[in-house]
Amino acid sequence: MKISVLRAYLKKEIIDLIRNKMIILIYLIPTMILILFGFGIKLEVTHARTVIIDNDHSKLSLEIINKFSRTKYFDVRVENLSYKKALHLIQTNKADVIIIIPPSFSRNLYKGAEIGVYIDGSFPLRAVTLQGYIEKLLINGFNIHLPIKIENRNFFNESLRDYNAVVPGLFGLIFLVVPASLAAIMIVKEKEMGTIFNFYSAPIKKVEFIISKLLPPFLFHSLNIFILLLLAFYVFNVPFRGNFFIFWVVSEIYILISVGIGLLVSIITSTQIAALVLSVIITIIPGFLYSGILMPISSMDKESFIEAHIFPVMYYNHLVYDSFLIGQGFKASENVLYFFILCIYAVTLILVGTFFVKKAIK
Amino acid sequence: MKMSAILKKEFLVFFRNAGLVIFILYAFTLDIYIAGKGIKVTPRNVSIGYVNEADNLIVNKIISSFHKPQFKQPKMFLNEKALKNAIYNRKIIVGIVFDKQFVNNLISKKQAKLQVLIDSTAAAQAEVTLIYLQNILMKFENNLNLPAKINIIKLFNPNSNTKWFMSLSELMSNITMLGLVLIAVVFVREKENGTWDIMLLMPVRGSLIIFSKILSQVLILMAGITISVGLIVFGVFNTPINGNLLDFYLISFLFSFAIGGIALVIAAVSKTILEVGHLTIVIMLPLIFLSGAWTPLSAMNPFIQYLSYLSPLRYYIQATQDIFFRGSGFFDLLPYFFAELFMAMVLFYIGYKKIGKLF
Amino acid sequence: MENGELRKILEVKNLSVSYGKKVAIKNVNFSLKEQELLGFIGADGAGKSSTLHAIAGVLSFEGEIVYKNYVYHSPKEAEKIKYEISLMPQGLGLVLYDFLSVKEHFDFFRDLRGLKKDKEYENRLLKMAGLYEFQNRLAGNLSGGMRQKLSLILSLLPRPKLLILDEPTTGVDPISRAELWNIVNEMREDGMSAIISTAYMSEANKMDKLMLFDEGEIIASGTSEELIESIKDYTYEGEIENNKCFSFNNRTYSLKPLNLKKASPTLEGIFFVNALKKGKKPIVINVPEKDIEIPEIIVNAKCLTKKFGEFIADNCIDLKLKKSEILGLLGANGAGKTTFIKMLLGLYPIDEGELYLLGKRIRSYEDRLTLKSKIGYVSQKFSLYKDLSIKENLEYFAKMHSLSVGETKRKIEEFARMFEFEEYLNAFPKEVPLGINQRFSLAAALLHEPVVLFLDEPTSGVDTVARSAFWRLLRKLKENTGISILITTHYMNEAEYCDRVAVLKRGVKIVDDEVKNLHKKYPRLDFEEIFLQIYKENQ
Ligand SMILES: Nc1ncnc2c1ncn2[C@@H]1O[C@H](COP(=O)(O)OP(=O)(O)OP(=O)(O)O)[C@@H](O)[C@H]1O
Ligand SMILES: [Mg+2]
Repeated sequence: MKISVLRAYLKKEIIDLIRNKMIILIYLIPTMILILFGFGIKLEVTHARTVIIDNDHSKLSLEIINKFSRTKYFDVRVENLSYKKALHLIQTNKADVIIIIPPSFSRNLYKGAEIGVYIDGSFPLRAVTLQGYIEKLLINGFNIHLPIKIENRNFFNESLRDYNAVVPGLFGLIFLVVPASLAAIMIVKEKEMGTIFNFYSAPIKKVEFIISKLLPPFLFHSLNIFILLLLAFYVFNVPFRGNFFIFWVVSEIYILISVGIGLLVSIITSTQIAALVLSVIITIIPGFLYSGILMPISSMDKESFIEAHIFPVMYYNHLVYDSFLIGQGFKASENVLYFFILCIYAVTLILVGTFFVKKAIK
Repeated sequence: MKMSAILKKEFLVFFRNAGLVIFILYAFTLDIYIAGKGIKVTPRNVSIGYVNEADNLIVNKIISSFHKPQFKQPKMFLNEKALKNAIYNRKIIVGIVFDKQFVNNLISKKQAKLQVLIDSTAAAQAEVTLIYLQNILMKFENNLNLPAKINIIKLFNPNSNTKWFMSLSELMSNITMLGLVLIAVVFVREKENGTWDIMLLMPVRGSLIIFSKILSQVLILMAGITISVGLIVFGVFNTPINGNLLDFYLISFLFSFAIGGIALVIAAVSKTILEVGHLTIVIMLPLIFLSGAWTPLSAMNPFIQYLSYLSPLRYYIQATQDIFFRGSGFFDLLPYFFAELFMAMVLFYIGYKKIGKLF
Repeated sequence: MENGELRKILEVKNLSVSYGKKVAIKNVNFSLKEQELLGFIGADGAGKSSTLHAIAGVLSFEGEIVYKNYVYHSPKEAEKIKYEISLMPQGLGLVLYDFLSVKEHFDFFRDLRGLKKDKEYENRLLKMAGLYEFQNRLAGNLSGGMRQKLSLILSLLPRPKLLILDEPTTGVDPISRAELWNIVNEMREDGMSAIISTAYMSEANKMDKLMLFDEGEIIASGTSEELIESIKDYTYEGEIENNKCFSFNNRTYSLKPLNLKKASPTLEGIFFVNALKKGKKPIVINVPEKDIEIPEIIVNAKCLTKKFGEFIADNCIDLKLKKSEILGLLGANGAGKTTFIKMLLGLYPIDEGELYLLGKRIRSYEDRLTLKSKIGYVSQKFSLYKDLSIKENLEYFAKMHSLSVGETKRKIEEFARMFEFEEYLNAFPKEVPLGINQRFSLAAALLHEPVVLFLDEPTSGVDTVARSAFWRLLRKLKENTGISILITTHYMNEAEYCDRVAVLKRGVKIVDDEVKNLHKKYPRLDFEEIFLQIYKENQ
């Protein structure tokens, strides 16, 4: 490995990124994704716009209204509307939930009394969650004896914060998509512009070229590990219970995997736009699906479960969630195993890439 | 005549870029399919484990009521430590400890407290899972007699079919992204390939060139939307449409031009396609997140809600959800049409001025 | 002779290259001695570049190449010799990074090849290329010729043992060309050999040995004297109109004896004789006479100035282009020719001065709009849509200029025949050689019968036979339709075809005179010498 070759490319790449202002985007995009997705993905349901039509005006009905008003889950308005008008509120997206308490509801208890609840089902997760809350509140409101009471103990994310759930998962997404596309583009650009000729005709080895081209995106994004970590701490207040060193090393290896994917993409594409598009496509879906944000891997059906094990995202995410929320570190044999699997990914990808890079005009 | 020449040229260029065509097709079909199929937000298949300390048959009875699709086959653990360990290694999400006291209380009809350990990493999932548990346990005691029937109807999507919602949300996100990329690229490609000067020297007005170029890409988008809606949204997922499809086309068309205006600004400031790609990401992400594609607007911070009035995507998403799910008719949708038209005119004007400076 | 003692350093045996089904070169054999300069000449697309790439080890090939006892059959095996070889590919600064400055390019290439910094040598190269003062300028802001020269000196940087240059002087001005030869000759003293392909026959004359390529084969080789000797029976003086013989640069070539005075042949003649031997005939150029109403003064530029930051690219240039006139705009690289033309076209805003086109004062976009259909333009970096085939490109231009379908078809056929690119009509611009591409750009600029043509180095990199056809066409156009042409070129003998030349130097016009007057002023000099003289006089 000649240091001068490395220096040549490194210097050139840095000048390029600075002169065309791409450097801003390298640091802006990951931060932006973290902030937007972190704040934007709201899976927890609060402040559902609820209209209660009380035709009963009894003690019980008032009690129910009070129960709903007291939680943060519902913003209650009591109105006197016809059934049709009420439905229209949902149809025109002015309410999320309508609860209709029929006349003489309290008198008909145990005698076929019925309470009508209408939920806007357009957002399914929201609808299911609301349904659960409503059932719980109503049954509570009836003041009856329940045979089994659940006493739950929450692990890892005790206060059930959305941020703790979403933010660590985003690391695996960001560090898969962004370094891969940057690496792919930086290599393909030389192909598209014709400057790859300098590599073809100079006495430098394939390995030297590849290392020189992958190093800049790797280094640039290494800094992003720290930036994102700080954001997670200070903007989202996510706890960090694991070993920082493990987290850091694993993240660097993961970025290496990502630039390795970029290298492979650059081999099969010849224009920058194609490289950008392809690298984003093949990384964003697994990055999102297997991030654990939306669904824990263990809860996947067989097919997805196997798929999840093919992509590196799952292993990284396991270690990231461990670092943030669990803190087992290398005490757990599984974490050690996953760490080695990630190393194997990194080495394999870059070796395969090196094998397929050709040092000649096609 | 000249316009048709430009359209023909842009179509040819588009179809000659095999990579781009494949990507567009992918984004309008497979990607929508994967998003609809793969992203399930309501918990399914929750992996569950338990410890039977009481060693009583009633426990087995309770366990047998945890079944698909909500729960996986429960796994038995020997003691609480093993159960916890499994949670720590994320093998299971929910662990239930049936201790002696619980069984005794249950048999003697006192209120029995059940210990449930839950991995709440995914907070919302954990919450819904708890609701599931609650419901199952409630129904387990079949002598439970509720004073009133609770009649819950989830309108528009009674079975909470996530495919319908996800596929449409993904489609709208993709239209936004493709609209920005495609329209900006038709201009920037000329810059990058050095044909910009030639374009300027054509004996036609700049406005005609700009308009024809945008139109060519809007038509490609509309074709993509047709393929996507026909093949995936209706074809594979059987999504119902309660409103009128033509309304959807109309709003899509207006939206394409609004997005086109933003794309013109991107095109004006970018020299390379790479810059287009990155600027698109920077503009697209906030646009999608602030417009209620994945989280309903009403659940967002009031400030963001006000901000979202400036996003053309907001009206598009609302109108689309209204058309498909809520079944709104043309007149109900009028405010959206006008808002979108207004956005389209404003944004297009800004973009046109910006790129017009280069002509 | 000392030649006898010199070692053979390169031997090419049965070299063949094919791209897919298309065979680019077949069974080429030759060898090269130490210190020898080998020239490749031949028509566009004849296989010169492919041969050069194969030798440099950047292209897969069949056959065998031996460099100083080291045998290689593939780019992979050629790795070992790349320390001693330097290749400059064709195209205006293809290997440059637009965002790096001249100086940063030196740093990059020095590091890439692991060289030590040799300040003196580097400065010498920079001065030769006239880039010494522009070391901080970004490559993207250099003029076409300056880019070419930068790639050229970068390929000289490692002081190779074997230098391979692919049309290195295309678009390079005569002053720099002369300086390049000094450097090459000097490095030769140190034992360097070189293979250089060129379209300038005055350069080919300086080679030790020449190889004439034609359709993938070497059809003749020898010293330039030998090659010239071989065509002396076919060369006559003067130019005539006859469809059985070619005329260019005051010579006529014919296989059948003509009733003309024999002339001393030049190297250029070999292309024409070769074409005649293959049964090719000069194209009959048919430009129907037309009376278009054209004002007396087509372009009237009054003190046009263009600045890039502090740098003044064009400094108060006055220029008139009259009806039915071919005006040559000459000047060293970076003198401001392209910038000037772009101001005329409205591609660069004019910083100072007044411009009248076709009698109309140009102030705004609106003023230009109606004039666009009367203007034809070929840019220096030729530009066609690379995703459209040649034919589709031409059809697009025709439609944009409101030509009817029938007319479009007729015109395309006509130009394809005239510029000999019929076989390429369905190809994409990327797939065809540079020279052929240049011809389409020309055809695209001429399709709509403009009243005035702005041609920025339209003939750079185009082979001799095509250039002769091109100039005949321009003359015919001018004579029969009365249009005016503003043209830039670095082929000084092409200036002879102009009615008048304007010479720019560092953004200032130093001469503006009729060609015949200049000949009177500088008797017995050819135009290249006149040009150098003028530049010297205006220090
Ligand atoms: N955008 C720019 N920024 C800074 N300098 C520029 C820019 N464009 C051109 N120049 C400079 O202006 C000068 C004139 O350039 P121009 O392209 O007109 O030269 P030219 O006469 O056409 O040369 P050539 O024969 O090489 O084509 C050069 O020194 C060039 O570097
Ligand atoms: Mg020029």
